[in-house]
Amino acid sequence: MAASNIYVGLEIGTSKVCIVVGEVRGDGAIKILGVGQHPSAGVRKGEVVDPDTVQTCLHDALIRAEERSDVEINTVFLAVSGSHVESVNNRGTIRVADEKMEISAEDLEEVKKIARDVSIPEPNGYIHSIIQHYYVDGQDKVLNPLNMLGQKLEADYHIIHGVKSRIQNAIRCVREVPLEVEDIVFSPVAAAQVVLNREAKNEGAILIDMGGGTTDYIVFVDGAVEASGSLGVGGDHITNDIALVLKIPLARAEKLKVAHGSASLLDNPKSDELIPVDGDSGRKVEQSYLNQIMNARVSELYEMLAEELREKGLLDKIGKGIFLTGGSSLMKGLDQVVGDAFGLPVQRTNPKSMSGPTALFENPQYATPVGLIRYAQLLDEQRPKAGPIRNLFRKLVKK
Amino acid sequence: MIEYDPEQQGQEIPEGDLGVKVIGVGGAGANVLDRMALEGSDEAELLTMNTDMRALNTSVSSGKIQLGATLLKGMGAGGDPELGKQAALEAVDEIRAAIRGAKMIFVCVGLGGGTGSGAAPEVCRIAKEEGVFLSVFATLPFSFEGERRMEQALAALERIGQYANTVMTFENDRMGELIVPKEGVAQAFAAADKIISQSIRATVNVVHRPGIIRIGMDDLLTALKDKNSRCLFGFGQAKGEARAHEAVEQALNCPLLDKGKLLNDASSVLVQVAGGESMTLFEVQAVMDEINKHVGDGTQILFGTGSDPRLGNSLSVTVISSLAGEAPAAAQAEPATATVTVDPLQQVTAQPTSTLAAAVTAAAKPAPTLVAEPEPAPVFEEVAEPAPAPEPEPVKEEKAPEPEPEPEPVAEEPEPEPEPEPVAEEPEPEPEPEPVAEEPEPEEEEVVVPEPVAAKKIVIEEEPATNPIAAAVSAGTPALVSDEEEVTPLSSADKVEATTEDEETITLSRIVSEGKTGKILTREVPEVPEPGPVEPTKAPAVKMADSPTSEKAQQQQEMLQLDPVAAKGRFAKTDPTIVDGEDLDVPTFLRKKG
Repeated sequence: MAASNIYVGLEIGTSKVCIVVGEVRGDGAIKILGVGQHPSAGVRKGEVVDPDTVQTCLHDALIRAEERSDVEINTVFLAVSGSHVESVNNRGTIRVADEKMEISAEDLEEVKKIARDVSIPEPNGYIHSIIQHYYVDGQDKVLNPLNMLGQKLEADYHIIHGVKSRIQNAIRCVREVPLEVEDIVFSPVAAAQVVLNREAKNEGAILIDMGGGTTDYIVFVDGAVEASGSLGVGGDHITNDIALVLKIPLARAEKLKVAHGSASLLDNPKSDELIPVDGDSGRKVEQSYLNQIMNARVSELYEMLAEELREKGLLDKIGKGIFLTGGSSLMKGLDQVVGDAFGLPVQRTNPKSMSGPTALFENPQYATPVGLIRYAQLLDEQRPKAGPIRNLFRKLVKK
Repeated sequence: MIEYDPEQQGQEIPEGDLGVKVIGVGGAGANVLDRMALEGSDEAELLTMNTDMRALNTSVSSGKIQLGATLLKGMGAGGDPELGKQAALEAVDEIRAAIRGAKMIFVCVGLGGGTGSGAAPEVCRIAKEEGVFLSVFATLPFSFEGERRMEQALAALERIGQYANTVMTFENDRMGELIVPKEGVAQAFAAADKIISQSIRATVNVVHRPGIIRIGMDDLLTALKDKNSRCLFGFGQAKGEARAHEAVEQALNCPLLDKGKLLNDASSVLVQVAGGESMTLFEVQAVMDEINKHVGDGTQILFGTGSDPRLGNSLSVTVISSLAGEAPAAAQAEPATATVTVDPLQQVTAQPTSTLAAAVTAAAKPAPTLVAEPEPAPVFEEVAEPAPAPEPEPVKEEKAPEPEPEPEPVAEEPEPEPEPEPVAEEPEPEPEPEPVAEEPEPEEEEVVVPEPVAAKKIVIEEEPATNPIAAAVSAGTPALVSDEEEVTPLSSADKVEATTEDEETITLSRIVSEGKTGKILTREVPEVPEPGPVEPTKAPAVKMADSPTSEKAQQQQEMLQLDPVAAKGRFAKTDPTIVDGEDLDVPTFLRKKG
C-alpha cells in the first residue's frame, strides 16, 4: 500500500556525477543500498554546459548504481546548483474570514501563495518555498497555526529561485537517459538534511558546501532557513589558479592541490620546503608559494561570503557555527581560513545517521546526494498534508 | 426495455425516474456499494452481485443476486475468472431482469479476482444487450498481488471495454500512494471505496441535474475519453459566504486531483457547478476562474451549471476528467481494449459538445476552411476572451471564461499539413490522437470533429503570426529581447548547430512564440526586431520543456571578452563570475598581485 521507500538522489556535480540509492527504514534511518558515480565532464560551475557529455557520465553512473544496489532506477531527486540560484525572504499576510476566525488549511495555502508572490527576475522560476515562521495576530513564531483562532495570519517564507532554462537543461539531460525527475532540490537544502541536526538549526548554523564548481551555503537561524545561495567558485578554481600561476597542466595542478596544498598560510611552517610537481621532471615548487596561491583564492571567497551574511546581520545569530561539507572541504587548512573570515567556530562534517556500506559515505563529498534521500523521505511524510510530489514542470513554469 | 439509439444517447436522458442502477460485482464492488449505501444514495438503486454468500449476506444494498448458486454453492469463485463467468451465466436471467428497465447502469468492480474478473464482463454484456447506458468503474489490483491477477484484470477489462460506454479505471497502486501511505489497510481501502462511490454519485448527479447549461452523456464521454486513462475526479460542496471558493478548494483537494495539478495535463475537463436558487452568476464565474488556473492551456473545458433545489444554500462543484496514462506497464494493455467502445461514441459526442454550445460555435464554424483565420486563435487565449462574445442568450454568460474548447478542434482542422506539430507534442505526455479508423461501430457517420487533444500546441504556433490580440498583449516582451541582445554572432552560429534536428523544422512563428526562452536570438538574431513583440503570454510556459538547448546559447552570449582568455584557463569559455566588478575566474593570486 505505502509508496516505495527507496529513493534515489542524483547530483550532477562539477567534478562528479553521483547517484545514491537509499532505503528509508521504518525508524527513519537511511540505509544506503548502493552508489554509482563517475567523474563528471560537461559541467562547469555546477551547471550543465555540454548535455551530451553529461549524459554519458550520467549513464555510466546509473549503471553502476543499479548494479550495486540491485534496484531498477526510474525516478530520481535531482540536486541543482549554480550561481544563478538566489533566494529572498518574503512575508505574506492574509485576513482570516470573519465568521470562522479559525485558521484552515486553505488559509495556509493562501498565505503561502501570497508570500510566494514576490517579484523574481523574468527568466527565473521557483525552486523552493520554505516556511520560516507563522505569525497569528502578530504573535511571534507560531509553529503550526492550523486550527488556531485569529484574524490575521502572516507567514515568512524563504524563497529560492533560479534561472529556469538552466535548471531545465539539467532536467533534460536526466530525462534523456531516461530517468524521471521527481523533484529538484537546491543542493545545500539537501545537504542540510543530513549534516545539520535540529539542535544546530535551532541554535543557528551555516552550512557551506564547497564543491568543485560552486560554493553553496544555507543559513539556519531559530530552526528556519534564513538565507541561502550559491557562488560560482569552487575547488576547480583553485586548481585553475595553481595551473595558471605555475603554468602547469590542470591535471598536475589538481594533484598538487590535493596532495600538498593547504589553504592556510599557517600550515607548513617550513615554508621553504620544495615539493616536486608530479610527473614534471625535476620541477619543484615552494610549499609556501603553493599555499599562497590557494590561500588567496580561498580567503577571498570566504571573505566575500562572510561579508554578505554580515550585511544581512546574520552572523551574530549563529550560535552553533559553521559546518563545512562538499568535496573541497577536505582541503587542508580550510577550516582555519573560514574561521578567520567568519569569526565563528568551524567543523567539517559528513552525512550522518545512516547504515549500509557507510565507510564510503563518511565523506563530505556525499552530503548532497545522501541529503536528497532524506529530503525525499521528508517530502513523503508530509505528503498526505502537502499533497504528492509537486508537479515539477508546473513548478518551474508557474511564476 | 428502452432501446437507445447511440446517436441520441449523448443527447438526452429523460427526466423523471432516473432509472439509474449501481451494480457491484464481486467483493470489491460490494464494498463500494456498501459505502454508497452508508452515505445515503437516494438517486440510485443499488444491486450487489456476488458468488460468496457470506459476503452477499453482509451487504447492505437493496438488491442482491447470488451468482452460481448451484455451481459454487455459495462459495467464492476462488480467484478463477472462468468460474466467475460460469456463475454469472447461471444467473443470467436474474441479471437480465434486474438490468431491464434501467436507463443507466454503473458497474463497479474490483478486477483481478474470480468473481469480479469473470462475472463483470458478463454483466456488462447483458447490459449492452439490454441497451442501457453503461459506465464501468473498475479497480486494478495492486502490483503486489502478482502478475497473474493483473493479467486476469486486464483481460477482463478488455472485455468490459467492448461493452461499456465508459470505463474509468482506478489503479490501486496509484490510489494507495495518493491516499494515505501511512494509514492502516482498512482505512486506505475505505478511502478508495469512498472515492469510487463519490465518483459514481457525482457522475449520476452531473448527468441528471437539470441544467441551465446542461451537461450530458456526451460531455461526460468526452471528459473521460483519454486512452489508458486514469480517472481524475473531484467533488466539493460548501455553504456560506465563501461557498464558491470553498467548494472549488474541496474539489481540487480530492486526492485523485492532487490539488488540481493533474488537471494541467488533461485534455478535457468536465466541470459542473450546481447550486440552489441562490447561486449567482458571480459565484459560477469565481469557480471557473479558479479552475481555469489549474487547467492547461489547451484543455477543453466542458462546463455545465444547474440548479438543484435539493442543494439548498450550498453550492457544489464537480470536476471529472481523465489523464492519459503515464503508461505503467500494467495499464498498457488496457487502453486498446477500453477504447474500442469509448472511442466511437466520443467521436459522436465530440460534436454534440459543440452543439451544446451552438451559439458559441456558430461563430467558429466556418473556420475549417480558413487556414490562418485569426479568430479561433484569440479564443484560445484566456486573455482574448472578448472574442467569443457573440452569444445571444444572456444565461450563457457563464461560458465566457472558457469558450476555448469549442474552437479548438476547429482550429486543428487546417493544421495537418505543416509538420511542426509532432514536434510540439514531443514534451507532452499525452498520446497523439489515435487513429479511429478500425472502429467497428457504425454510428460515427456524423463525425466531423477529430479530437481536440492535438490542438493545444498547434494553436499556439499558428497564432502569433496572425493574431493581433496576442500582439497587443505582449507589450512587455521587448525588454526581454533586448536583455539578451548581447549575442555574439559567434555564439549564435554555434547555437544553430546545437539545435536538435526536430527543432529545425519549426516554423518562424513558432520561434517567435518562444521568445521568452531565449530562442529568438539564438537562431534568428536578425529577425528579432521584425516580428515585433508578438508573443502570446502563455506560450513560453508550455514551451519551456523543449528549449533547454537555448540555455547554452545564453551562456555563450554572456561571454564578455573582458579579460585575456589566457588568464582564465579552464573557465575561459564559461560565463564569468563577477562580483563587485572583479572577475573571480581570474586567479585571485594574480589579481591581488597586479
